[in-house]
Amino acid sequence: MPEPAELVGYVIAGTRYLLPLLMLWVLARCLRSMLRERYEPETWAYLVDANGLRTPVNHWECIIGRSRSCDVVLSSQSVSRVHASLQRDGSGYWTVSDLRSRGGTFVNGDEAELLYPVRDGDVLDFAGEELVFQAVTRDEREWLERRRTAPGRFVGPGVTLLILTLFQAFLTLEFTVTAEEEYLVSICLAFLALIVLEWFCYLVMRSVRRSGFEPETIAFLLSTLGMSVAASSTPDDMFRQVLFLCIGVALFFILGWWLRDLRRVKAVRWLAALAAMGLLAVTVVLGEVRGGAGSWLNFGGFTVQPSELVKVLYIYTGAATLDRLFARRNLFVFIVFSAICVCALALMGDFGTALIFFTTFLVIAFMRSGSFATVFLAVGGAAMAGFLVLSVKPYVAQRFMTWGHAWEDVWDSGYQQTHAMSAAASGGLFGRGAGEGGLVNITAADTDMVFAVLSEELGLIVAVLAMFAVIALALFAVRNAAHGRSTFYVIAGCAAVSLMMIQMGLNVFGSLDILPFTGVTFPFVSKGGTSLISCWMLLAFVKATDTRRDASFVVSRDPKTPEDGGDEYEEEDEYEEEEEDYGGVPGEEGGI
Amino acid sequence: MKKVTHRAWTSLLIALLLVAGLAVYLVRLADNGGAWATYFSGGTPGGTILDRDGVVLYSSTEDGVSWAADSTTRLACYHLIGDATGNVRTGALRQFRDRLTGYSFISGSSSGKTLQLTLSSRLNTVAYNALAGRSGAVMLMNYATGEILCMVSTPADDPANPSASPAEGTYINKCLSAGFVPGSVFKLVTLAAAIENIPDLFERKFWCEGQSVVGGAELNCTGSHGSQSIEQALANSCNCAFGAIAVELGADTLAEYARKLGFTEQLSLDGMTVTAGQFDKAEAGSIGLAWSGVGQYNDLVVPYALLRYVAAIANGGSVPEPTLLGHGSLDRESELLDADTAARIGEMMNNNVQSAYGGQWTFPGLNVSAKTGTAEVGDGTSHAWMTGFLNDAEHPYAFVVLVEHAGGGLANAGPVANQLLQAAVAG
Repeated sequence: MPEPAELVGYVIAGTRYLLPLLMLWVLARCLRSMLRERYEPETWAYLVDANGLRTPVNHWECIIGRSRSCDVVLSSQSVSRVHASLQRDGSGYWTVSDLRSRGGTFVNGDEAELLYPVRDGDVLDFAGEELVFQAVTRDEREWLERRRTAPGRFVGPGVTLLILTLFQAFLTLEFTVTAEEEYLVSICLAFLALIVLEWFCYLVMRSVRRSGFEPETIAFLLSTLGMSVAASSTPDDMFRQVLFLCIGVALFFILGWWLRDLRRVKAVRWLAALAAMGLLAVTVVLGEVRGGAGSWLNFGGFTVQPSELVKVLYIYTGAATLDRLFARRNLFVFIVFSAICVCALALMGDFGTALIFFTTFLVIAFMRSGSFATVFLAVGGAAMAGFLVLSVKPYVAQRFMTWGHAWEDVWDSGYQQTHAMSAAASGGLFGRGAGEGGLVNITAADTDMVFAVLSEELGLIVAVLAMFAVIALALFAVRNAAHGRSTFYVIAGCAAVSLMMIQMGLNVFGSLDILPFTGVTFPFVSKGGTSLISCWMLLAFVKATDTRRDASFVVSRDPKTPEDGGDEYEEEDEYEEEEEDYGGVPGEEGGI
Repeated sequence: MKKVTHRAWTSLLIALLLVAGLAVYLVRLADNGGAWATYFSGGTPGGTILDRDGVVLYSSTEDGVSWAADSTTRLACYHLIGDATGNVRTGALRQFRDRLTGYSFISGSSSGKTLQLTLSSRLNTVAYNALAGRSGAVMLMNYATGEILCMVSTPADDPANPSASPAEGTYINKCLSAGFVPGSVFKLVTLAAAIENIPDLFERKFWCEGQSVVGGAELNCTGSHGSQSIEQALANSCNCAFGAIAVELGADTLAEYARKLGFTEQLSLDGMTVTAGQFDKAEAGSIGLAWSGVGQYNDLVVPYALLRYVAAIANGGSVPEPTLLGHGSLDRESELLDADTAARIGEMMNNNVQSAYGGQWTFPGLNVSAKTGTAEVGDGTSHAWMTGFLNDAEHPYAFVVLVEHAGGGLANAGPVANQLLQAAVAG
């Protein structure tokens, strides 16, 4: 029988090497499932030409024209390069809009301008090119859907989640060895709650017969690391971490459900913009100063960072459907809105978040306009604004001064970075063991220097894999973009993952003295309630891009055609329940 | 739709930037990880340092830091080990930190390794006691293996009980980090140049009448030596003879030999930088040139460089690079001298001891080859030097002793050297 101390050594040594392996396995399975599985487009309608050739319409929003970048390419010379747009709304009504083409667009002989309704059998005339619009009927769509591959066929999401659970179990085991006795129960309970929560989510997904669970798995993986950081830094505060995680997951479901219906999403965009500005305004006036930035609101002991929630609202407001992309005025309004947000954050002195908003703005602006000119203009304006901020806020300027010189002032301005680097290096590839690190004792290590905390305790491999987990989400969103139903979802999804990546970059490289230290959070991992909640909400945008068959609960199966009558959500839910035979075993009828 | 799809790819630019940033970090980590990891452990990184006999000189565990049990050993090994606040730059705690903490890229910091040095704390204590409170530096090495067995610098401090106002020079390891006026020990350099550049050196006679005139100024000698061979001139440490040889060789040749023999080169000891000495070229035919050939003028010698040179003389012209860590299988030898030249200088140094330094009276029971030095430092006092080696295959030891402001080399450095050698041979 080995001595207890010896036993501790064996447990730590064993799990130290096991954890990176399990994490790599989880991540590899998610990546393989997200990126390697077959991914056929959805079909929503057909355009039939005079020879009877049927061109499928694969999105809710399509551009028709001569240019090769159009979704439906017409070769006739009389057709403009970008001629018209064909759009379907959430309830199955189709419209066509002329995009200032030379030859004009006609439906059954009538000239179509903006949002002209189109029905099954209508003849669309694009400057002489005649196509018959053929809507897909409910039965046909079901048949088409069954031919698509559902996720989870090759890489079972349940098995992946099981491996993740194993990862969590071993991590908890490490804590049982290292944690102080008084906190042991609360730490174990917190991890148990995490495991229960993820399996609950998984079962909910299965019960509505959705089999895409990779983004959630990655988010739970990262949340596990966050839980580990919390257990190491503030073991007395585990309940709050679990609570915030539950709130985050709940809001993820609520936002996801809300995003299903594009019409109501569009209807309240301006409300979201108002809410964003309102939240910022309240924070500017009442904000509490912490760490140089006055971006905290205090509600009787609970402090929240409204700017985190504004991130979600900002992306919600910034994303746009195709019809809005063609009006320059809309982009202009968005630029003004963005400027207000960034200025408000600068006023609070929350320089890091302002930077995140600005870069997210660049991504959205580019995705909306496709024009680098607009983007460069914005960069120029922001550079001047940034200079102003630097000259006004001495502590921000101080951080820029320290940048790259952290080791020259170890006890003052370089204190955080040098301690982070020192701790990160001491962990090696496999870390010193969960709860064994010393960096967590430094102020804000569990938020701003979380990469170093991970490196020190769980090793460089886990820390780097955490970064790649966020990048994996981005790859997923970008890959999904090709099959997105609406540009709203694509822009929102890409903006969300861009925001996460930028935030992660600022967090990680700021603490390692590769970028100026800005004190932003690492998505899902950094401790901090509001940040965790906002990350889970951003994940809903990523889920909304996933149009694989029966993959995402955010994407409705949408069998609706105008004949069904449109606007009833209840009916659709009923439909889901009726369809026992339809998705019993996902992908059973899918082609190999 | 397709357009927006294409634009979506640009968000992967951010992913690329992240990967690039990560690569920068990984390169930096591979480069500096050890220094980062141990930075905040200050002067007390985890681990244990032993001397060659297994005596614990330093130990740091989770329970705290401890030093050698014996207080004289602590003082004698102060510069070797270093102190808790890192004041001694060349101390093992700072220089061998990575080895001590066992840092590696893969496993990070461990709780500390055991590092065994080639040094004997017993010899250090003997040397420290022999210096008897005087400032100075003492080194002893095995010239066949390169292992350093003794390295003492005074004044020293007790790392377990550091002094609030330490004496001047306490934080400097004078063996490695300070240059001193060499005086007559530098004649060994001039001699090497003379043997290889003056064909009839051994046929010549050198005349000394207590002084001579070089470049219109007077060069004093230690005595009136009359007519001497080169062997006699070295044994007499005759300034007239070596002054004349220096003028004949010229400043360029002397400077070249000072460099070649390692005196003005940037040397290193187990990776740590050793201060370079100094040799200024004086004008041709001037009194300065003559003085520079006998170790005065602006000459500065670091004890470590002198030890290395004397070890090369003892070892047939080439020296196994000195080490505190032990070479293991990787023996590096540097050739400083021709084997013939080395042999001739060795014989002449042996003659010094037999004919001028008292032979068995000074070094009872030992066969020593040596050269003394009494370096005038300009304030009326002199540094006492002695350097040399044992002609004993079983005890192949080379040594250097410097006692600052102590007076004559033989009278003051000689006894220190004898005590050290007796202890080394007895051990």
